[in-house]
Amino acid sequence: MKKVSIFVVLACLLVSCESTNYVPPVTSQMATARKGQHAGLPMLREGRTLFVHRCIECHTLPVLWRYSTEDWPAIVDSMSHRASLKPAEREAIVAYILAVRTRQD
Amino acid sequence: MKPALRVGIFVAAILSALSSFGGARHFTFLYEANTSAPGSLELENWVTWRHATGPGRFDQVDFRHELEYGVTDKLQASIYLADWFYKSDPEHSGSTYSDTAIELIYNLTNPVVDPVGLSIYGELRAGDRLIELESKLITQKNFGRLILAYNATLESVWEGRDLDEREGEFSQALGASYEISPRISAGIELLHEFVFPEWRDTEKIRNFFVGPNVTYRRGNWFVTITALAQATDTQDEPDFQLRTIFGMGL
Repeated sequence: MKKVSIFVVLACLLVSCESTNYVPPVTSQMATARKGQHAGLPMLREGRTLFVHRCIECHTLPVLWRYSTEDWPAIVDSMSHRASLKPAEREAIVAYILAVRTRQD
Repeated sequence: MKPALRVGIFVAAILSALSSFGGARHFTFLYEANTSAPGSLELENWVTWRHATGPGRFDQVDFRHELEYGVTDKLQASIYLADWFYKSDPEHSGSTYSDTAIELIYNLTNPVVDPVGLSIYGELRAGDRLIELESKLITQKNFGRLILAYNATLESVWEGRDLDEREGEFSQALGASYEISPRISAGIELLHEFVFPEWRDTEKIRNFFVGPNVTYRRGNWFVTITALAQATDTQDEPDFQLRTIFGMGL
C-alpha cells in the first residue's frame, strides 16, 4: 500500500509538471485572435515546432504566461542568435507565443 | 606579445564573433534526444578523470575534443578530432592517443510534445589497433523543469595487433536533471554496464555507477560536471569518475 501511495504521489507530481509544460496545438482561433497582427496558421504551426525543438536545446520550456506579451519579443530576440534562428523563424516563434497568450488573456 | 598569445587572442575574437550555439548538455554520461539547430557548430571538450584503488590502482584522465554540427532539424553530425588519455599506475605513466571517431544522431520524436522523445545514435571509432562500433537508443521526456533521459547502448570493440581481441558491452544509463534557474540545472546519473569479453558472459562483469551532476550555461557556452562512484566491486573499473564537458558555440 505504501509503494502504491508513493507511485500515485510521483505520478501526480509528474502530471502537474507536464501541465505547466503545456504547449497548446495551433487552432484556427489562434490565427484570428490577435487584432492587427497577421499570423496565418502555417506560421503559427512553424512557430510551435521551432519553439519545442530549438528552445529545449539549452533550457526547459518556460511557462508561457510567466512573461508579458510585451516582454516575449525581446526574450526570444535575446536568444535567437544562440539558437541559430533566422529572422522569419524568430517571428514565427513570437507569433505562436503571442497567439497562445492572447487566447489565455 | 608572444606569437602563441597573439594567435590565441585572434582565434578567441573570431570565435566570439561567429558564435552560434548547438545547445547545452544536462548530462555527461547520457545523451539527450534533441539535436543541434541546422547550421550550428559547437566545440565540446571532454575531460574524464578515473580513479581506482586496490591492487589494480590507477589514475587516468581521458580527453576528447569534439566538433558538433547541426545538419538538418533532425540530424546532427559530430567528429571526435582526438581521444587521448594520460594514465598513471604503479608500473608506468604517460599519454597515449586513443582514437578518432564520427557520430550521427537522428531525432525521431520530440520530448515535449510527443509521449516520449526518441533519437537513434551511431558511432564509428578507429584508432591504433582499435575499431569500435556503438549504437544507442536515446529516450527523453521533459516534465516542466524536469528532464528525464534513458540511453541503451550496444558497443562492439575489436582491438589488438590483428584486431583479434573482441569485446561487447551493453550499457544503460538513466538521468534526471532539474532546472533550478535559467542558468543552473542539477540532477543525478546512473550507469549500468554489462561487459562481454570475447562476446561471452562467462565472467558476469557488471558495473554500476551513480552520482550527481550540475550544469551551468551562459551566453554561448556551458559546462556540465558529473561525479560517479562505483556501487559494485569490479577490480579493473574505476571506483570514482569525474567527467566535465565544456561546450562553446563557434
